[in-house]
Amino acid sequence: MKVLKFDRKGMGKWLARLGEKGNVYVPASSKEGKTAIGWRKLESAEMPPVSPGVPARPVKNFLLPQPEVLFRFSTRPGKEDSFIPREPEPGQVDNIIFGVRPCDARSIMLNAMPYENDPYYQARMEHNIIIGLTCGEPCSTCFCSWTGGSPMGTDGCDLSVTELEGAFMARAITRRGEKLLEEAAGIAVEADHDAVEGLEKMSATAVAGAGSGTAPERALRERDLMELYNAPFWQDLAERCINCGACTFLCPTCYCFDIQDETLHGKGRRIRYQDSCMFPLFTLHASGHNPRGQKVQRVRNRFMHKLKYFPDRFGPLSCVGCGRCVRDCPVNIDIREVMGKLLAL
Amino acid sequence: MGTTSENKWEPKIVAFLCNWCSYAGADLAGVSRFQYPPNIRIIRLPCSGRVSANMILDALRSGADGVLVSGCHPGDCHYISGNLFARRRFALLNNLLEFVGIEPGRVNFSWVSASEGEQFAEVVREVTETVKKLGPSTRLVKNIG
Amino acid sequence: MSTANQKITEEIRAQAERLLSSGEVEAFLGYEKGSLPMSVRPFTARKPEDAGRLVWNSFCVLNLANYLPALLKSLEPPRRPGDPPPEGPLPRVAVVATGCWSRNIVVQIRENQVDRDRVTIVGVPSRGMVSAMKVRAAVNGREITAVTEEDHLLLVEGNGFRQEINRWDVVRDNCKTCRHPDPVIHDILIGKKAGQRQVQEPFAQVKDIESKDSARRWQWFAEAFESCIRCYACRNACPLCYCPTCFVDDSRPQWVGKSTDRTDTLLFHLLRAYHCAGRCTDCGSCESACPVGIPMRLLTKKLNMDVLEMYGSEAGMSLDEPLPLTTYDPSDPQGFVLTEREEKGGTR
Repeated sequence: MKVLKFDRKGMGKWLARLGEKGNVYVPASSKEGKTAIGWRKLESAEMPPVSPGVPARPVKNFLLPQPEVLFRFSTRPGKEDSFIPREPEPGQVDNIIFGVRPCDARSIMLNAMPYENDPYYQARMEHNIIIGLTCGEPCSTCFCSWTGGSPMGTDGCDLSVTELEGAFMARAITRRGEKLLEEAAGIAVEADHDAVEGLEKMSATAVAGAGSGTAPERALRERDLMELYNAPFWQDLAERCINCGACTFLCPTCYCFDIQDETLHGKGRRIRYQDSCMFPLFTLHASGHNPRGQKVQRVRNRFMHKLKYFPDRFGPLSCVGCGRCVRDCPVNIDIREVMGKLLAL
Repeated sequence: MGTTSENKWEPKIVAFLCNWCSYAGADLAGVSRFQYPPNIRIIRLPCSGRVSANMILDALRSGADGVLVSGCHPGDCHYISGNLFARRRFALLNNLLEFVGIEPGRVNFSWVSASEGEQFAEVVREVTETVKKLGPSTRLVKNIG
Repeated sequence: MSTANQKITEEIRAQAERLLSSGEVEAFLGYEKGSLPMSVRPFTARKPEDAGRLVWNSFCVLNLANYLPALLKSLEPPRRPGDPPPEGPLPRVAVVATGCWSRNIVVQIRENQVDRDRVTIVGVPSRGMVSAMKVRAAVNGREITAVTEEDHLLLVEGNGFRQEINRWDVVRDNCKTCRHPDPVIHDILIGKKAGQRQVQEPFAQVKDIESKDSARRWQWFAEAFESCIRCYACRNACPLCYCPTCFVDDSRPQWVGKSTDRTDTLLFHLLRAYHCAGRCTDCGSCESACPVGIPMRLLTKKLNMDVLEMYGSEAGMSLDEPLPLTTYDPSDPQGFVLTEREEKGGTR
């Protein structure tokens, strides 16, 4: 496998050059310049500093945009085309997203499972090229290894970049990634034997550190669903939950949505947007009945979906261990504890 | 939003009028044949106390270039105090909107009684002129592409 | 550890144990330790032996009054619509309350969400709570693994660094400008009252924005609220938000659209703030709960300023006073009304 070595300056140059192939996004920091918030378009040929850990917002917003326009229509009565669905603006531009942590990248693969036959998600997969950035310094809220990932993981990446002794080592994972590396001609050099060895060592350490024993998804798949559903701790857990949607909107693997028609001045569009199972409206029936009308039911559903229903149906956990929900929950509901409790039942 | 001819933009102004005073005032203006600009679109409500912030903001969201809310003079409310409660709410809303950068004059309030046809016409003239000066509304306008 | 917090923690535990074991209250609302540095969890103690889990420190940022209406309701015997109210006194709840939280409880009592006879308010004069976001910024966004609190210092530790931060420097803005740190109503008081604080310019942040022209203000508003993810943590962390159906969930008519359309996001924030007019105590729960750091508190602060200037009222200061928007004065200012402008002979 070919590994290219960039210095910091070269990395910036390469990213700027990729701008000809599509929109290049790089990690963005908050106005005060202190905390990572998400991604912004690359403006100059300079590599921005990347803080350890994941940015506030997940990469899913590129693949499940807020909102996704499914189709458009005219609401002018009597016109030939009124109320006939039209395809939304064609010609999506490619996004090249740099600095995606392995957990976030892996979420793209996990979300692709339920969206397997969804043309919109599949199109977004086509048009978003992911340049992963491995984690040299995992955070205390990170637990990707526990959920089946790895700080050196490449799932969902087209390219994987590792920071090693001040330099950046890039290796292609997919054909698309290889093509991007071809653009680095004259900027990067082929990594020498030592550097490649260093990289391999890092990967090996990460795999070894990934924990031993039963993988939680396997253990949870084997458990009786109703036993977990009726666990005694849900009530206690839900008591402090304020039922906001912070966890779901920040979660890279929360993929649930709602659909709505918006009409204004004779124009209409059908949009799909991220929704949250934490909101009572999520399950409210037209009859007025709400099967998850109580907070405890909603809190339980979120965890059961991630840790039981999803593994039962697709195999892996619907959690990549990025730790965003742990970090940003206003009342400190910690999914690691919930997993521990479920496993200990 | 609306353009009536090639280059001449005419503002659309949504007017929320209370049934007992301002709506009757508008009626009187019409019956008395006082001229006022045709830019307002009247929505009749039982009382200015019925006007909620949601409605005013919804008008702006839908692309109204201006909003006028008009009720009875304080003390003359058909429901005794509806406009007095509303006055506090309007004052706060007006300030809040200006605080976040909605241009002063985009949202307007007035008291017009049922006998003040000429005053109603005058208010509409004034509001239309102010909104014309401000130009088409762009802030808080929803656009679905 | 901070000796002041240690003392308050011990007293809260003692009171909780006493109230719960005597049966005076069915539940005691406080905080317990969290799983991360700078985090605590709202906690409802229901047994005397739970009292030992209660803690008090500078990171108690989520307003406990938020839980009160639902908790009281959950303790009532179930009844169907139309059933007569249960006989005899209903179970009671104790709640820890600082100045602003106690004012929120006053608002809830005035709005018939909380029955004064069913709550025991354990007042704790507040020293101001710390903003975790400010602490993170103070260490340049590096990861924090431990924070130890002393009376006037925070010792912040992370991977390969250790830093001392002056506590007051990272206290939340709303606490810095707070004039009423003492609980306005309480049944039990823990610690000593601090008295009314003198604040030079409590509305400096608001006035700073008001000094801009209209276009700049709009620019500020649109940019500052741009990163909102519409998770509604601000709404749900607010003790004033208890409507069974929020206006954002109304569909006929739909006041604000879904997803993160800019207009809809800004409208949501405007209307959310406006719903708090005359009721907000500037407790800062909304801003502390926000995962993306939106300064939505400035909107309510602006409303608070106007309510104070125009109607001379601060929310929740007294059980006997009506809330400013539930009353009126015939001579209320009306200079904003076109037909009442001074040049038209109107009175301001």
